[in-house]
Amino acid sequence: MNIEVKGLCKRFSRLVSDGETKGRRSSRKEEFLAVDHVDLSTRQGEILGVLGPNGAGKTTLLRMMGTLLAPDEGTVSVVGEDGAVISDPIAVKSCIGYLSENTHLYGRFSTRELLHTISSIYGLTPEVRDERIEQITEVLNLSAFIDNRIERLSTGQTQRANIARCLIHSPGIYIFDEPTLGLDIISSESIVSFMKGEREQGRTVLYSTHYMEEAQYLCDRIVMLWEGRIIAEDTPQRLMEQTATDNLRDCFRALLDAGTRERAEETEVRKEEGQDA
Amino acid sequence: MRKSVVGSLYRKEILDILRDKKTILMMIVVPLILYPLIFVGSIYLAGSILAAPTSKGYIVGFEGLRDEQAMKDFMKEREGEHHYTFYFYSPPEKKDSEEMLRDNRVQAVLRESVSENRPYYEIAYRASDTDSQTAAGMVETILEDYRDELRRNEISEAGLDPDTVLRPILYGRKDYSSNEENAGYLVGLIVPFLMITSILMGALYPAIDTTAGEKERGTLETLLTLPVNNLELIAAKFLATSTIAMAAALLNILSMGFLAIYMGDTMKLAGGGGSLDLRSFIPAALIMLLCVFVFAMFVSAVCLCACIFARSFKEAQNYTTPLLLLFMIGGMAGMIPQLSLNRVTIMVPVVNVVLLISELFHFHYNLSQIATVLFANLAYTGIAVVIMGRLFSSENILFGDAAASLRLLESRKHMKPGQIPGIGDVILLFSALLIVVLFVGSTAVLHFGLYGLMIEQGLILLLVLLYAWYIRADFGKVLHLRKVRPVAVLSAFLCWAGSFFLIQLFGSLLTSLFPGLSTENAENLVALWQGKPIWLLVLVVAVFPAVCEEAAFRGFLLSALEHKYKGAVAVVFTGLIFGAYHMSLLQFLLIAPLGILLSYVVWKEGGIVLSILIHFLNNLSSLLLEQYGESLQDVLPFLKEEQPGAATAAGLFMAGFVLLSAGLLLLRKKAQPSS
Repeated sequence: MNIEVKGLCKRFSRLVSDGETKGRRSSRKEEFLAVDHVDLSTRQGEILGVLGPNGAGKTTLLRMMGTLLAPDEGTVSVVGEDGAVISDPIAVKSCIGYLSENTHLYGRFSTRELLHTISSIYGLTPEVRDERIEQITEVLNLSAFIDNRIERLSTGQTQRANIARCLIHSPGIYIFDEPTLGLDIISSESIVSFMKGEREQGRTVLYSTHYMEEAQYLCDRIVMLWEGRIIAEDTPQRLMEQTATDNLRDCFRALLDAGTRERAEETEVRKEEGQDA
Repeated sequence: MRKSVVGSLYRKEILDILRDKKTILMMIVVPLILYPLIFVGSIYLAGSILAAPTSKGYIVGFEGLRDEQAMKDFMKEREGEHHYTFYFYSPPEKKDSEEMLRDNRVQAVLRESVSENRPYYEIAYRASDTDSQTAAGMVETILEDYRDELRRNEISEAGLDPDTVLRPILYGRKDYSSNEENAGYLVGLIVPFLMITSILMGALYPAIDTTAGEKERGTLETLLTLPVNNLELIAAKFLATSTIAMAAALLNILSMGFLAIYMGDTMKLAGGGGSLDLRSFIPAALIMLLCVFVFAMFVSAVCLCACIFARSFKEAQNYTTPLLLLFMIGGMAGMIPQLSLNRVTIMVPVVNVVLLISELFHFHYNLSQIATVLFANLAYTGIAVVIMGRLFSSENILFGDAAASLRLLESRKHMKPGQIPGIGDVILLFSALLIVVLFVGSTAVLHFGLYGLMIEQGLILLLVLLYAWYIRADFGKVLHLRKVRPVAVLSAFLCWAGSFFLIQLFGSLLTSLFPGLSTENAENLVALWQGKPIWLLVLVVAVFPAVCEEAAFRGFLLSALEHKYKGAVAVVFTGLIFGAYHMSLLQFLLIAPLGILLSYVVWKEGGIVLSILIHFLNNLSSLLLEQYGESLQDVLPFLKEEQPGAATAAGLFMAGFVLLSAGLLLLRKKAQPSS
């Protein structure tokens, strides 16, 4: 399964100060594009890393791809293995397992109860559900705490429960927004190995992170996002070659500098054009 | 909206709420422990207040009495009769009354002087001291006795019988209200307030927890990753909150019921107050339960609306505090003696429920009032739910900024041109119409009489047109503006004639079967007609309603329902809502069938002109019957009979049936969809 986005845009407004005029501080609302005409498509069975500095629009892009957020422009669609295109937001959600630092779990439920509730929303039959829970318990090693209330679990356990939530409906695509943020090495390794395992089974993983080392050895391809736009898209190897660096961290910095320069030139050109006119 | 998804979400919400101890506390502890506690506590308190004076003695001082000892003896003599004990204080050196009081030696001082050639006794006390107040009261009672004694002595000395002179007539009161009525009166004062409070307490916590609470805990984003749409989310939250609020209300009613039984038993044991037949309250309690359930839905919707704006639990509490105060103030309406259900109060949220419960416990069961209160609350709930649906967007959930996503009055430029109104639009428009008719309409009628009716009808049309314009609806489709075939006009005439006979028959049947059905609305209307020129009456009674009401019902409402449901469902519902709009049970029974006929004709033929024509003819005929009934009796002999005999009834039925069937047969064979 693959996910495709075309011309995706999201506008937000922010308050901009105009400075002081006649002793009065004035501010106005300004609209800006948090995601600016993004085209992107995944390939079956790859881990696609979405990288970018804070505020680049990663989370907004991933939220729109997971249809949590409606885009202002553009389309999100999932292409099934049989070539069928799904673009209804609710149907798209059924194909995706979405995990982010903001998707918290119901503390008053046990992991099992949570999985039951979620499966009934996905419309799984009790037989399928129980079979899935058994599989997931084994894969993620949940058996020690699956019947405890989630509020009593440790951070790592909670994260595993959260992953279990994304797996229950066997989605073809995963969207993971900074899944390893704030986890210890063991927990984040288990998540990384989970992503690798899913890739081997032909699932597609979209994943954003700030950990460059992790991205470098994990991702098949990388998309670099900056100010809502894609400024680079290639394999980590080739990106490093292009920027003549030997690690993703330096590559990231080089790409950002190039982006900033480009943007500055663009503004310069626009200004000159304005003066000419 | 998928039922199974809403069901799963609903179960999740309920489980989540019930797992929280605070909810249980609010729901169970308050009704089951607090009420009995308050009750027993207040009885104990009242008892101790009443008992207080007997158990205590008071110290009285004297100043300037001519015969201090005689007064002391008199006071001691009467002490037993009034259950007081007096102690007397004589200061070692002479002090005036103020000094004695200030020294806190005495609670009251009796001082004698002369005024208008008679002894004048002044009772000196301090109003700021409760004991002093009581003591002064006791001394005053003693002085009354003393005056009585002096009178009796004088009368006896004159050789008369003091009893007949002092009390030449005897009088007394007797209360003919039953124990149940007395109890109902008291219950009607207090219970509504307790009901409102308990529902609020029941609804508030779940409302905050399922919205702001979930936002704060970050679980809403998780919900959004599931294949669920916003409407399903909000429906589940609304249903769960309502359920908890209803459960709280039910628990409260049960708790009060048990308390009542307990009270009844104690009264029986005490034997003093007579017995209370609690069964007589069962109808009131049952109707109250129904009202309270509908009201719980309203409260839940309103609380949810307020909470959606909040990003955190604390913020939500801030938003709901003013709401809480408003509801509480409304809840006290039952304690205001002059306030009763009238055309205005029946529409005021909270107040209407409070007053209705009050009425129920006074054993006043007015069906139209009950129905109106229920309808009004359902309408308000509808509005609140629609608002909630619009507030609860993904942007709002993710960024917590409800004001930015407030799209209740979405800019007109975002509306899709040529759209057919949805159910949300119907609810909004008709709730607005309801309010306009009840508030603006009745005020206009009060001030301008007949012209007020025209204003009311004009407003209905204006609102319909404005709303259709606002949502950029296709006027032709929404108002069923379509040319009609000449034969359809003939059909309309036949339908009217048929319905005329059937309504005459049905109407007299209803009034003879249920003589109690109120014709109040119709009578008020006829009173307005007195002495007005006929052309004006035709305009007000026939032309305006035909055009304006048809635009609203057979236009807007029918086209929205047609678009959403099967034709038959749309036709029947339009008719029923049209009947309910007339707000009286008799009118509903008579007009709903007519409404169904009108909707059917428009649905089949597609032209609103036809229903306007039938509506016009119908109203015109009732106007003419009212004005010229007597002269018309020669033409239509059945009008002479107050209650039609079997032959007349059969004749009316046959005539109605044949004419109506002929009319309906002339309509098109297939429905003409508006869209």
